[in-house]
This record gives sequence, structure tokens and C-alpha cells, in this order.
Amino acid sequence: MTVQSLYGVAALVAGGIAYLLPFLPPWLVTIIADVVFGAILLAASMINTIVLIWYERKLLGRFMDRRGAMHVGYAGLLQNFADGLKLFRKNTYKPREADSLGFYGGPTAYMVSSLVIFGILPISTGWDNGSLPLSLLLALVIFSFAPLFIFLSAWSSNNKYSLMGGMRSAAQMIAYEVPILIAVVAVVVLSGSFDLTTIVSEQRNYWFALPLFLALIVFVAGMLAEMERIPFDLPEAEAELVEGWNTEYGGMLFAFFMLADYLRALIGSILIVLLFLGGWTLPSYVPAALTSFPLAGIFWFMVKTYLVFGVFVWVRASLPRVRTDQLLRVGWMRMVPLALVSVLIAAAVVAAHCLPVLGCVPGLGS
Amino acid sequence: MWINMGPQHPMTHGLWNLRVKIEGEIVKEIDPEMGFLHRGIEKISEDRHYNEVITLMDRTCYVAGIAWEHLYIQAAEQALHVTPPARALWIRVLCEEMQRIASHVMWYAAFVQDLGLMSPFLYGMRDRDLLLDHFQSFTGGRLTYEYMRVGGVRNDLPPGTTDRMRKTLDWLMDRFVEYDRLCMGSEIFRKRCDDLGVLKANDCIAYGVTGPMLRSAGVRRDLRKDRPYAIYDQVDFDMAIADSADVTGRYLVRMEEMRQSVRILRQVVDWLDKHPGPVMAPNLPRWLGAPYAPVGREGYLLKRNYPKGVGLSAIEEPHGEANAYVVNEGGEHPYRVKFRSPVYVNLSAAHKYLVGYHVADIPPIMGSVDVCVGEVDR
Repeated sequence: MTVQSLYGVAALVAGGIAYLLPFLPPWLVTIIADVVFGAILLAASMINTIVLIWYERKLLGRFMDRRGAMHVGYAGLLQNFADGLKLFRKNTYKPREADSLGFYGGPTAYMVSSLVIFGILPISTGWDNGSLPLSLLLALVIFSFAPLFIFLSAWSSNNKYSLMGGMRSAAQMIAYEVPILIAVVAVVVLSGSFDLTTIVSEQRNYWFALPLFLALIVFVAGMLAEMERIPFDLPEAEAELVEGWNTEYGGMLFAFFMLADYLRALIGSILIVLLFLGGWTLPSYVPAALTSFPLAGIFWFMVKTYLVFGVFVWVRASLPRVRTDQLLRVGWMRMVPLALVSVLIAAAVVAAHCLPVLGCVPGLGS
Repeated sequence: MWINMGPQHPMTHGLWNLRVKIEGEIVKEIDPEMGFLHRGIEKISEDRHYNEVITLMDRTCYVAGIAWEHLYIQAAEQALHVTPPARALWIRVLCEEMQRIASHVMWYAAFVQDLGLMSPFLYGMRDRDLLLDHFQSFTGGRLTYEYMRVGGVRNDLPPGTTDRMRKTLDWLMDRFVEYDRLCMGSEIFRKRCDDLGVLKANDCIAYGVTGPMLRSAGVRRDLRKDRPYAIYDQVDFDMAIADSADVTGRYLVRMEEMRQSVRILRQVVDWLDKHPGPVMAPNLPRWLGAPYAPVGREGYLLKRNYPKGVGLSAIEEPHGEANAYVVNEGGEHPYRVKFRSPVYVNLSAAHKYLVGYHVADIPPIMGSVDVCVGEVDR
């Protein structure tokens, strides 16, 4: 069967479904629409993740006075697809004493739990999977599954380095959940909603990054810890723990971890954009030409997301790794108080209704 | 729980095994195992011509090859009663100081990589390449040079080397400022390195620890100052000293040493410009097998007539004090060659500066020791 005939079959099926749509019962149409939407979302998130890796490699290259990937595709754009194919072809090896369920289930669950979040995050007006009233909470809850799966796969791979990495990972992620959630509370107080779409639309006059700058800092630091990136990448500190909790993983299982890590990095950047940087909107006083072209929402959303991720890359290129005890001390003794202060600031802003320079938010009942 | 850090582990920077007993994240006991890279260099040397041993010296320490050549050559010349010309001595010091910077830059790159800083690693490798380019221009090699000979050096510097050298030195001085900003300017770096791996002066002396580790504990001991060899008494430089005895101190000492090396190199380059001359001693015995040595009829000495001798040299190698002992019992080969590796001694005090710290502290501490396994195992 040639590629052309594959395309033909796909077009036939799609055309058939499209032709049949008016005659199908509504519940079936909903299911088909959801499946198609999910497939598009899956493809978009995976491609974005891979492009994100390319983006990081190129940016890191520039920070380090080199050029990054250059050879496969234009400016190395296809390098990561090639790497992915290589990992796909490799044999996955399981240590004899490793526990099968945990060893294979851990990375799979980690990957799936990261992918699920993309179904919740709105991307632009009309590009959300239904407006869930508690979508922010749901996203954060699924986001915090990760330590469990990491610890599971670390423990079951029966390696001392993996176990230590898993312990560190669990300790770190759980410790930084707390300031992240408190910082999110500040956003919720200001916007009055747990719905991400509402939170974005509440930022039409000013971005929450301005009044809640402290919360933004706490959230970014917390996200760095959740993503396990430098300076908080100690669970996989390669200098002492070889590769930490994924020491024993190779081939596609390693690719799962790698992809899920970058998925989580992408989700973290998206959450920062949604909560603090106005999502797909620009403030209402910018010229309308900037926001009126087709797909402007998605365009600005992507630009912001990649810029935020660029900051993470910048941090990675310039900071050393901290130690576990230092990390936990900073988490509990600096981040939590800062987050609490930012909640107070949010409450003060809500009480004052209007900010001196930035004006009022209509939703606050001014 | 005992864990093996090594023989293949990112921390080791070579081939050795650090067995660590940990409770939680705290190091309770350590047990270094060395010898994975033993090649029997001292024994092989007994079976080689004097000039053939130089090849082995480059392999002894693969980041400071020419310093070890210098060490061996000094001992061999003493044993063979050969006096090299002045220009050769200055070129040797040029080589040694260039190698010191290259070695310290390499150390810097590896050390910050252990701390998770990736960009300075590449900066370090980039800047080291400049020095290696210089080495290549007059020795032909970038890592293993085989440049020094009993009685001098193999060939003179090609024209223009000194001018290119000055440019490189200026550029390097700017880069050192950048290095310092990236490390000492970073609060996380200071938090990771201050009061870490402390080895006090009396412990250093008791264990025979030398080099930057000793000087970081505040002990004024540098063979280039205390027992000047080659032409170190004719150049002007300061000894790099710190008094914190921790990882930061070692970092500061090495950084200062690089600046002092640049200072020495500038003087050496000026001297070399003003004093052309031969780089090999005349009248060398032909059986030394120096391929480029000018051997005259009058300088032809039969080896059975050659006087016996013993050579002992000590130099301040980038890692510490290295000694070489060469015995000439007559004949084409040295009768016995023995080296003292500074890193081996520095490593033997490991339990003093590792126990009690966190597992995460092991890479920076061992990085600050600057382990070169090639010379540890020899």
C-alpha cells in the first residue's frame, strides 16, 4: 500500500464521516468531535514539545557560544525527530530485579498524566475543550501526580541512584506544590474564578503579573522545581546521581521521560502565560491591528509561551544547581511566606477595586 | 548504604572508584579505590631511551602533559650532566605556564559542570583551545606534545608566535573576569561552595597535600617561589593564596594562579623576543638518540665512558608538587625512574574533606581537588 493510497483512504473516511454527520445521533457526533479534537491536540502538543526541545537547544547553544543542532533539516529543526526515531528503534532494557509493573507503568503514567493536562488548558477564544468551572484546579491536581509516578519508576528500577533521585524528586515536588498553590490562590482572589478562560478574560485591562509580581516570582520558581530544571534539577543531578531516577531507562522509555519533562515544561510555561501574562489577549489599550488578524490569539499565546520558556532556558544557562537541603529550606522558608504576602496583595487590590495607574477590572464590581 | 561512585561515574573525571557509605544524604565513610588506569609507566621507562620516556610523560597526565615532560627532563638532564641553553629554559617555562592555564581552565570547566553550570563549561573548553592552538603551532601536538628533549627543546618557536601569544593573553584576561562573574557573582555558587570540603593547614601538611589545595589553606608554599627551578627566579609574580581552606578558596587560588601565569607569560614572551639563540645544548652524546640534536664529531661520547649520575627534580605542576627521580647507571636507558604524583597524595586525604558532607557535595569537593587519574595511577 503506497502512501498516496493511505492518504486516499484517510480522505475517504474523513469525507464519509463529514457526509454522514447530519444523519448521526448527537451523542455520536459529540464523541467523534472529541476524538478528532483530541487527536489534533495530541499532535499539536507533541509537535510543540519537540519544537520546544529544538528551541531550547538552539537558545542554549547561543548562550554557550555555539550554534546548537545544525545538520538535520533547516537549522537542525528535524534533529529531534531523528533523535526520537533513534530512541524508538532502540531496545528497551529492564534490569532483572526491577519490578515490571512499576518499571513500565511509571513512565507511561507520567507521560499520560502530563498529556491529559493539554485537554484542560484553553489556548485561545473558542479553542478550549469546553469551559470547565474548575479547570485551573483540575490542571494543577493532575500536574501534581508526577512525584508519585517518578517515585514509582525510581523505586521499581532497583537502583540506588534511582531511589535517591526518586526520593529527592518526591520531596522537592511536594515541597514546591505548597507555594505554587498559594500563589495560585492570589490569582484566584484577584480574578474571582477557578476557570482559566475567565482568568484570562479578567486580564483585559492589565496582566496579573503587575499587581502580583511576587506571586509570579514564586510561581516561576515553583515551576522550575516542578519541571526539575536547573537550578532545581537535583533529582537527576548527573554529577552525583548519574541520571537520577531515570538512570536505568533507555530507548523509548527514556524518551517517554524526556518528552514528559518537556511536556511539563510546556505546561508550566502555558500556565504562567494564562495566569499572569494575559493568556492569548493583549491589554485592551494596545492597537487593535495587533489583535485582529486571523489566529491572533494563538499567535500571541505561542509567542508568550516560548518567551517564558526562553527565560527558563536562560536560567538554565547561567545558574548552578542547588543542594537538596538548600532547596527545601528556600521552599518552606522563603517561597511560602512570599506567596502568602502575594495573597494579601491580591486581597488588597480586590478591596481597593481599582489600581492607581492600571485602572479598574470590570469583573471586580467597580 | 554503600554506593559505588565509579569506576564509570560522571563525578570521577577519569577511572577510579569512590565507595561512599551514606545515611540519607550524609556521607558517613568513604573508601577510594585507585589503580584502574595503572599502565606501569615507571617500569616501562626503564626499558626506553631517555628521550623516549618523554612520550610516556605526556600520557602520565593528560591535561598537563608538558608540565610532566618538564619534570622528567629536569631530572634526566641532572642525571646525564647536560645543561640546556638559556632560551630552551625560557621556552620550557613558557610551555609550563601555558599548560598551567590550559589545565586550570579545563579544571574550571569540569568543576562548574559538576555544579550544573553548563555554559562556563563550554566557555572553558573554548578558551583552552586557544592555548592548544599555540601548542600545536610549535610542538605539533594538542594534547601529547613530545616537545622537550634532554638538552633543550625540539625546535624553536615559529616566527610570530610571541605576538599571537600576547593577543591570546589579553583575550584570556578578559575571559577570567567573565568566569569570576559567573561563579563568584552567583549566590547559588557561593552557597554551594563556601565552607565545603574544608581541609585545614595542619591536615594538609600532615597528609602531604600540595598545590592549590595547600595554598587555599593559607600555607605559603609554591616551588616556583620556594625552590625556583628553570628561570622562575628571574620572573616576577605573586603566589596565589587564600585562607578559607574550602572549595571557594581553591577556586580563588586557581583563578589567581591563572592571572599570575599570564603575568609570567608576558615576561617570558618579552624575553624570548629579545634573546634569540640555540634551543639545544651542543655536544650531546649521540646515543641519547635526540633526532634533532646537532651532534658534532667532537661531541661524540661513547656510552661506556659516560659518567653515572642521579637526577631529582621537583616542579609546581598545575595540580601540586610533582617529583621525579631518575637514576643513570650508564647505558642508554634510565636505571630507575620514580615519580611523586601530587593528586595521589591529595586524594589520600579524601576522608578528611568528604566525610560529613552531603552526597550532592561530593562532585564539587572532588572537582576542587582537580583529579587527574592518569598521574594518580601512572
